[in-house]
Amino acid sequence: MTARGMRASRRGLGSGLALLVIWATAMATAMAETAPLPVAPKLAEAGEALITNQTGDSLSVVRLSDFRVVAELAIDGKPAGIALSPNRRTAYVTSPDGKVVTIVDAVSRRLMGRFSSGNGPLGIAVNPVSGRVYVADWYQHKIMAHEPVTGLLVGEKSVGKSPSGLAVTPDGKHLLSADRDSNQVTILDADTLDLIGTVAVGERPFGVTVSADGRRAYSANVGSNDVSVIDVPARSRIGTVPVGRRPYAVAIAQGRAFVSDQYDATVTVFDVATLAVVKVIPVGDYPEGIAADTAGRNIYVACWSANTLERIDTATLEVTGKVAVGDGPRAFGDFIR
Amino acid sequence: MSRRGLVWMMMVLLLSQVAVGPLDAHGPTRQKVTEKVEINAPAEKVWAVIGSFQDMSWHPAVANTEGNGGNTKGATRVLTLRPAGRIIEALSNYDAGKSLSYEITAVDVKVLPVSNYTSTLSVEASGGKSVVEWKAAFYRGFLNNDPPPELSDEAAVRAIKGVFRAGLDALKAKVEAGG
Repeated sequence: MTARGMRASRRGLGSGLALLVIWATAMATAMAETAPLPVAPKLAEAGEALITNQTGDSLSVVRLSDFRVVAELAIDGKPAGIALSPNRRTAYVTSPDGKVVTIVDAVSRRLMGRFSSGNGPLGIAVNPVSGRVYVADWYQHKIMAHEPVTGLLVGEKSVGKSPSGLAVTPDGKHLLSADRDSNQVTILDADTLDLIGTVAVGERPFGVTVSADGRRAYSANVGSNDVSVIDVPARSRIGTVPVGRRPYAVAIAQGRAFVSDQYDATVTVFDVATLAVVKVIPVGDYPEGIAADTAGRNIYVACWSANTLERIDTATLEVTGKVAVGDGPRAFGDFIR
Repeated sequence: MSRRGLVWMMMVLLLSQVAVGPLDAHGPTRQKVTEKVEINAPAEKVWAVIGSFQDMSWHPAVANTEGNGGNTKGATRVLTLRPAGRIIEALSNYDAGKSLSYEITAVDVKVLPVSNYTSTLSVEASGGKSVVEWKAAFYRGFLNNDPPPELSDEAAVRAIKGVFRAGLDALKAKVEAGG
């Protein structure tokens, strides 16, 4: 058992909730081998995409080398959001209808446990340094912070209305929340959850993505059909890029931003330095979750209506592959390991 | 523009201000419905019936279609339903002979218990026959958690399936009868 797991078990005992103790102890024991490390050594990429299929109540595992589905795990409660532990071995999946987060051991492809999180858990992010799990509650307008192994609630903070996408800066210090129905991005201290500031963005921001250096953030604004560019240290909006209709989320690779435009069935690509649109790439209907592989060679986008995961080559900006996944793929969050 | 057309346009503008718009809050889980029908007639003949965004008389629940903009992107229509109710829609994509996509810009959840609704109606040739596919993406009508049964995800899916099935079955009967 890791020190983290033991600490969590002791906390459970102190609370006097017998069931919780049994559950937490079992969980900590079961997860000992896959528990997130306190500080993440960057592991070699496993080369998989984990795709939440919301209407299909499952998680598709796609091997990236030959672009094939190699496993499909049943997860009920309409799974949507996903985030990965610092060592990329543990996945956390939100089920907004079930009001739970499911912990998945991505290595053995087994479900390890679940914990409750608020009334409408959707967006989720993991602190890349501490491993703490943050969940956005769509209905209670709060961010919940959970201990990564047991799922114990360790903090909560009210933010703007209907927080959606979450992202953490690579240094683990700041947590960003796209508050969809308040047209703002909230920046919190990732440790204390104290408010650092809010940034006014376009209308109805949904996904939010932080750059590799942690200095920029991009919100996809479903209502105004654009992306807001945020200077994170300055806590201000420094640019706006018009994209396709109902943009969902943004991925960054090779100095470019890739935006999934749900209603247009396209991915809009823009240069992050000049903010000029480089290309608009047709993909399957309702492109949603979008992410880059570690090397930045490919972008992967889940197409909710087409039931596909599609691959875009970041050099040629062409779609180079499609694979059928489960029903209603969303993959909202960090889904490449 | 005719006086009648002007009145309709004003009504559309007015209704889109007061009714539930497509960008309001919604539930967490988007729903999908796809229904198909095979019709024993060439695709051109089917398209001749369904291909005008301004005429939805082939659907038994539609009493009247009034709109503006023909079949160009952004065109609008107001469907008056039987026995009662009204739906306002806008054309988002039009591929002549193949498909048309549209979204609901205003509807009372008592008429149709959905929000953020988009839909595509398409026809594809299959031998001498054709296959019509009608698919939709939408959220339930209730915008908060724990909806009442009549505004649940299941109620929304059931309502749209009912609309699609009734329309596609009537379309098949009409086209195959030579209508």
